[in-house]
Amino acid sequence: MLPSFELLMPETLPEALEMLAGYAPDAMPLAGGTNLVPDLRGGKRRPGVLVNVHGLDALQYIGRQDRYVVMGAGVSLADVLESELIGAHGRVLQEAARVFANPLIRNRATVGGNLGNASPAADTVPPLLVLDAELKLASAGESRWVGLEDFFVDVCDTICRHVELITAVRWLVPPPRTFSRFRKLTLRKSTAISVVSVAVRVTLGESGRCVDAAVALGAVAPTPIRVHEAEEVLRGEALTPEVIDRATRFACTAASCIGDVRSSAAYRERVTDVLTRRLLAEAQEWSEEQWERS
Amino acid sequence: MTETVGRPWVRADARAKVTGQAKFPGDFGMADMVHAKILFADRPHARVVSIDTSEAAQVEGVVAIFTAQDVPVNEYGLQTADQPVLCGPGSGKPGADVVRFVGDQVALVVADTRAAAEQARGLMEITYEDLPVVSDPFEALKPGAPQIHPGREASELHPELSTEGNFICHHQIRKGDMEAGWAQADVVVEGQYHTPGQEHAYLQPEAGLAYIDDEGRVAVVVAGQWAWEDQRQIAHALDIPVEEIRVIYPAIGGAFGGREDMSVQIVLALAAYRLQRPVKITWTREESIRGHCKRHPMWFRCKWGATREGELVAAEVQVVADGGAYCYTTNKVLGNTTITCTGPYAFPNAKVDVDGVYTNNPPSGAMRGFGAPQGIFAAEMQMNKLAEALGMDPVALRMRNLLQDEMPTTTGTPLAGGVHLQEVTERCALAAGWERAEEGWRKPAAKGVALAGRPKEAMRTGMGMAVGFKNVGFSFGYQENCWLRIELRGEDDIERAIVTIGTADVGQGAHTVLQQMAAEALQVSMERVSLEASDTGTSPGSSGSASASRTTFMAGNAIREAAALALDGWREGERPAVVEHTYLAPETTPLDPDTGEGFPNFAYGYVAQVVEVVVDVETGELRVRRVVCADDVGKAINPEQVEGQIEGGVVQAMGWVTCENFIAQAGRVLTPHLSTYLIPTIADVPERMETIIVEKPDPRGPWGARGMGEMPFLPLAPALLAAVHDATGVWIDEFPLTPERVLRSLRDGGSLLECDWE
Repeated sequence: MLPSFELLMPETLPEALEMLAGYAPDAMPLAGGTNLVPDLRGGKRRPGVLVNVHGLDALQYIGRQDRYVVMGAGVSLADVLESELIGAHGRVLQEAARVFANPLIRNRATVGGNLGNASPAADTVPPLLVLDAELKLASAGESRWVGLEDFFVDVCDTICRHVELITAVRWLVPPPRTFSRFRKLTLRKSTAISVVSVAVRVTLGESGRCVDAAVALGAVAPTPIRVHEAEEVLRGEALTPEVIDRATRFACTAASCIGDVRSSAAYRERVTDVLTRRLLAEAQEWSEEQWERS
Repeated sequence: MTETVGRPWVRADARAKVTGQAKFPGDFGMADMVHAKILFADRPHARVVSIDTSEAAQVEGVVAIFTAQDVPVNEYGLQTADQPVLCGPGSGKPGADVVRFVGDQVALVVADTRAAAEQARGLMEITYEDLPVVSDPFEALKPGAPQIHPGREASELHPELSTEGNFICHHQIRKGDMEAGWAQADVVVEGQYHTPGQEHAYLQPEAGLAYIDDEGRVAVVVAGQWAWEDQRQIAHALDIPVEEIRVIYPAIGGAFGGREDMSVQIVLALAAYRLQRPVKITWTREESIRGHCKRHPMWFRCKWGATREGELVAAEVQVVADGGAYCYTTNKVLGNTTITCTGPYAFPNAKVDVDGVYTNNPPSGAMRGFGAPQGIFAAEMQMNKLAEALGMDPVALRMRNLLQDEMPTTTGTPLAGGVHLQEVTERCALAAGWERAEEGWRKPAAKGVALAGRPKEAMRTGMGMAVGFKNVGFSFGYQENCWLRIELRGEDDIERAIVTIGTADVGQGAHTVLQQMAAEALQVSMERVSLEASDTGTSPGSSGSASASRTTFMAGNAIREAAALALDGWREGERPAVVEHTYLAPETTPLDPDTGEGFPNFAYGYVAQVVEVVVDVETGELRVRRVVCADDVGKAINPEQVEGQIEGGVVQAMGWVTCENFIAQAGRVLTPHLSTYLIPTIADVPERMETIIVEKPDPRGPWGARGMGEMPFLPLAPALLAAVHDATGVWIDEFPLTPERVLRSLRDGGSLLECDWE
């Protein structure tokens, strides 16, 4: 059953940050609660104080600021799914939102919560990793932007301090002719934790070659990971089968899969291979279409 | 006049359930009630050396702590009382100090609040002496294996129950002359199969409220399937007369067989009786998954022979079933497996051996199909492999061998109530696209499929079929019966008909169907019929269990007979006209212990299914694209509910075959959450489900109706596996078909089942 805790209901973001500071380290922010509430029931987390940040106006926006797409950490996965801006400049994230849990969870769960929970299988992370996203960590009176890749430390562990709250996520609007996609394998079609997830971003140059690329994996290591070795292989190259094969092999090498009730380590490695290869092959098909169009 | 039977009446409970007004056991409360929590053993095999409650008792708000020594008769069980109510020393029942699976109950902590009960439970000091664990039934049968229930006595009532080693029971069939059979066989197919356990995953975890009612009885509000039997077992354990126990079923959130056996009933009654106060309990989902039985995991070794022309001549089948820590209904479940594991076919020669085995796994018990889905799986896998070996169409091979009226089964007697296996097979095959040409049956060509993000060359489609049959009602020599009472009120016309019956509506819509049949039998409108059901306080007789697809058949016949008697009284001027009546089903006989000969059942249902799948051969993922199901229900009393039952049965079976993966390791449950034990969601259901309701009346069924609740479950597994074979060329002989298992089987060219059969 739900243990007892104190629930604080700030009306503004500064108030929320004051509360987090005042009760640290015993306070935790509560957003959609789709991870936190089951964790409380299961005894996995035992905060004395919950600071409800769900619905705070200051965390509820999606917009363009200069060269960035910026969104408040409180936007729900359903908001991500409906945003035309994200559809145009972060399709990979929208693809993840489309297969995220189920419609009920998507209505409640927030992007900030999914990041802060720091599950190795968090579905928003590989897409935001390939978008080179940054997070804004705010505490009473100060704030800092950190790269998402530097954010995760271990399973359910991040650099976010007790007094800090994830308040925003941003990424640079990708150049034209950028392909970004997300795939995951699950044991049923909805409301299932990823066995493996993969996100890929490829930007083509004038020549049709890949000028920039990013590959990220979920559920294959203690935290979601970027596979820079694979990206090196892709950069400057045309997406030939040979190049795709080499990049895929780096992805598999980067994965340090473990076995659990969902799958063995060997199967995870296999799926990492298949999904990465398929996404890169899709990128290749897409690049041919781009070439023909131009 | 009214014609209520055969029409899709809206369920009587629909509005209340959709709006949240219906009260389930967990929704009941009373002013001065206290809360209980059960301390589960959480270890698979151990002796409870001592129980220290002193620290727990100090927790503020704790009212009482009950342990084994507080249970007057510390035993219960549907078939044989082999399970302690509370495990521990001091109850005087030999062996009751041993826990045999993780869900065994050790203590009941009662407190003013749930929080206090939970806190006190955490402070209980139990000293265990761990015993060696056996979690593999094949290991359990080896000499020197840990003994789960040493010193059992033979049962007069159930002679199939064994007293030897870890054997729970044995059934066998010896028909014809096996050597002569093999001599006739041009083609022999041998196969080994494994079917996994399954969690019922009903919507509502176990819960209940017990209190002393205004007549001084111990009333237990709970969800079950057979109130009268719950009452009997509670009274036995508390050692008080049956009349002093009252069992009430409010709305029940699903059952599927999982509520046939006791969960919270006895301990709740014990606490309320001792404290003379209302006591409430609600299990968490995790407690539910650990605490109640599962479908029997089974292992099969089959050898079937046929002539070149496709005539079945011999079948040899050996079955080992993991019964888990207690008997529950294992002997009865395996009776069904015995008669279904050679399929719905006329074998002149058959040899079948079926053993149930005790282990330290969670007990296996009743679940939709009750031993038939496993038997049908092995049989239909054999049949589909035989069709391949013979180069015959699977429909053609079946049409040649399916049982028909008057043809003896492996038990030596024909199936009762009209045999319509050919009808369902034919209707299903034609609807799925088979052609009946002059030269025989022809399967439709597979169609390719394109799925976004998946390479076309990795997508393989296939189609498979299977047929099933199952008995209706408890029988094998047991005299099936159903009690009810009808009271007709009014002056000139019947203004109100009150039907009192014990039958549970476990969510399948039984009460609506009973109301329809009563209205029809009495020739009054639906509004004039009211049902008083599921309360032993008002129903002194047993109406039987809501299981074995029996409710419509048994209660319907009881209604028909009682209505005729009540109308006689009414016409003679009785006001009110009151009849109490017990319907007795046709007699059956047990199977002969040596030959398996007998007349085990009085009614059957028949079903055929075709399944289409698409398999991603690079990841092993599969998707069920289409299921066609033809089900002979005799008469659809409520066609909409029949369709609902069929679709529900198909999806539940699909879960068993595809994503449901109950994992226990050395007796410990690794999937106690619905986030780790994955049942299908709405996104997983087959893309197309086509239901064909076949109505070939059973002459002894009410309005011709047969039982149908379990039948749609039966052929799905083998039909789906045949579709996977059609798609990939590989026979997978075990499931669930997790993507990983599919991929591994594709790599290995099949399943590598290794069992120690000797």
